[in-house]
Amino acid sequence: MLATHDLSTSYGGLIALSNASIEVKAGEIVCVAGANGAGKSTLLKSIVGMERPSSGTVEFLGERIDGLAPHLVTQRGIAYVPENRRLFPRLSVVDNLRLGSYLFRNDADREAPMATVMRLFPRLGERLEQRAETLSGGEQQMLAISRALMTRPKLLMLDEPSQGIMPKLVDEIFVAVSAIREAGTTVLIVEQRLTECLEIADRAYVLQTGRVTMSGTAAEIAGNAEVRKAYLGL
Amino acid sequence: MTSEAIIQSLASGLLMGLIYGLVAAGLALIFGLMDVVNFAHGEFLMTSMYAAFGLFLAFALDPLASAPFVAAAMFVFGAVIYLGLVRFAMSASANAGMVQIFATFGLAIVMRGLAQLLFTPDYRSIPHSWLGGKTLHVGGIFLPAPQLAGAFVSLAAFGALWLVINKTDFGRALEATREDAGAVALVGIDKKRIFALGWGLGGALVGLAGAVLATFFYIYPDVGASFALVAYVTVALGGFGSVFGAFAAGILVGVVEAGTAFILPASLKYLGIYALYLIVVVVRPRGLFGSL
Repeated sequence: MLATHDLSTSYGGLIALSNASIEVKAGEIVCVAGANGAGKSTLLKSIVGMERPSSGTVEFLGERIDGLAPHLVTQRGIAYVPENRRLFPRLSVVDNLRLGSYLFRNDADREAPMATVMRLFPRLGERLEQRAETLSGGEQQMLAISRALMTRPKLLMLDEPSQGIMPKLVDEIFVAVSAIREAGTTVLIVEQRLTECLEIADRAYVLQTGRVTMSGTAAEIAGNAEVRKAYLGL
Repeated sequence: MTSEAIIQSLASGLLMGLIYGLVAAGLALIFGLMDVVNFAHGEFLMTSMYAAFGLFLAFALDPLASAPFVAAAMFVFGAVIYLGLVRFAMSASANAGMVQIFATFGLAIVMRGLAQLLFTPDYRSIPHSWLGGKTLHVGGIFLPAPQLAGAFVSLAAFGALWLVINKTDFGRALEATREDAGAVALVGIDKKRIFALGWGLGGALVGLAGAVLATFFYIYPDVGASFALVAYVTVALGGFGSVFGAFAAGILVGVVEAGTAFILPASLKYLGIYALYLIVVVVRPRGLFGSL
């Protein structure tokens, strides 16, 4: 479904991502693990066109999408939830959601995903008229994921969904991500918290200083001695 | 000083204030949307006034009848200015803020120069409009009909604007872009399209204001300058970028102006507005209704 080939991105001479090649197949949950500054966010930003890669290609559903403007990438079917969520803080929860389905002109295309996100995150349903900025960190993450789902994506990309969220909600979010995949949306997650991520993922990549240093099934990565030491604290 | 004279002065101020609000609406909208101050706002107004005047000469259309056409033309004009000028100024690699200022300021000079070239610096007016010279006499006070009509146009425009912003998809996209222009791509919205439509909407609003003013104000190449100055004060008072703040501030400016003219010689009528502006800038720099 998605493949990057030798993708490299740098910020003013500083290489953030170097020849990264990853693949996500339809129906999978793929986890990209790595420490802070390993290039995880840069990888996602380069895929959606928020950063311009200096070399390499991005292919989605058999077509090159590198070089496309970010809104066009969204229109192709990739929904990206950035690290800082980028909600519209002073708009209500329901308006944030409605904006997710801005591109759809008929009601059916809007109501179906709305029903889906209400089922996934019932607590958003209780806060529809609240401003997004009044939500807790976990609820904001739920809203960000929901807004992304409102675009009816084929691929959902999450950047550190667990960041700044209380542990109970982290579990809730990972359970929801599993459910999202069950419902037919492919997922690519970038995470520092490997344990939870590997529990739900099919395959994983490890990024170190901008390079892909390991790849394999989630079980292989979870069983790797180096990974256990470096990321799982075992 | 009778109470009747005070009420008369307040009423005139209120009518003019509603028109000031309409003049400032487009400026506030564009500033709120993308942090760009359109220094050619007054010239947008001047162009609208000439457009209404031209439609009167060509088709004997009263400015009140031609207002929708002027607004439509100014919508296109605003969008074209964004797409042809402001868009490039915003993507300047260095000092984008300064480049924007010079781009719209330069545009203002060009528009004024063109108006002088094409229309001469002569003062024009629409000699016999529907409402020109008519007044309404209500309970001892006189309301000039053109200003009254202008006030109603302003109310209708702000009402429509409220509906668009609060009840439509486009309005929601406008609000979202205003909150975080970089994030609307996440839901597939092209921010540049919203910016262009925002400039169009701003142009349409000033187009309405220009048509309204053409019914009772002289039309000349520099006419925008004095209105633009009041509009900048209105936007600053209302809270930068708040369209409905500009509405309220416009009324306040109109009333304060009328009140000042009531107490002081007419030549000092702007004193009150600028004094109010200074006080607000010192005491509440974000403006009366600004949320930042």
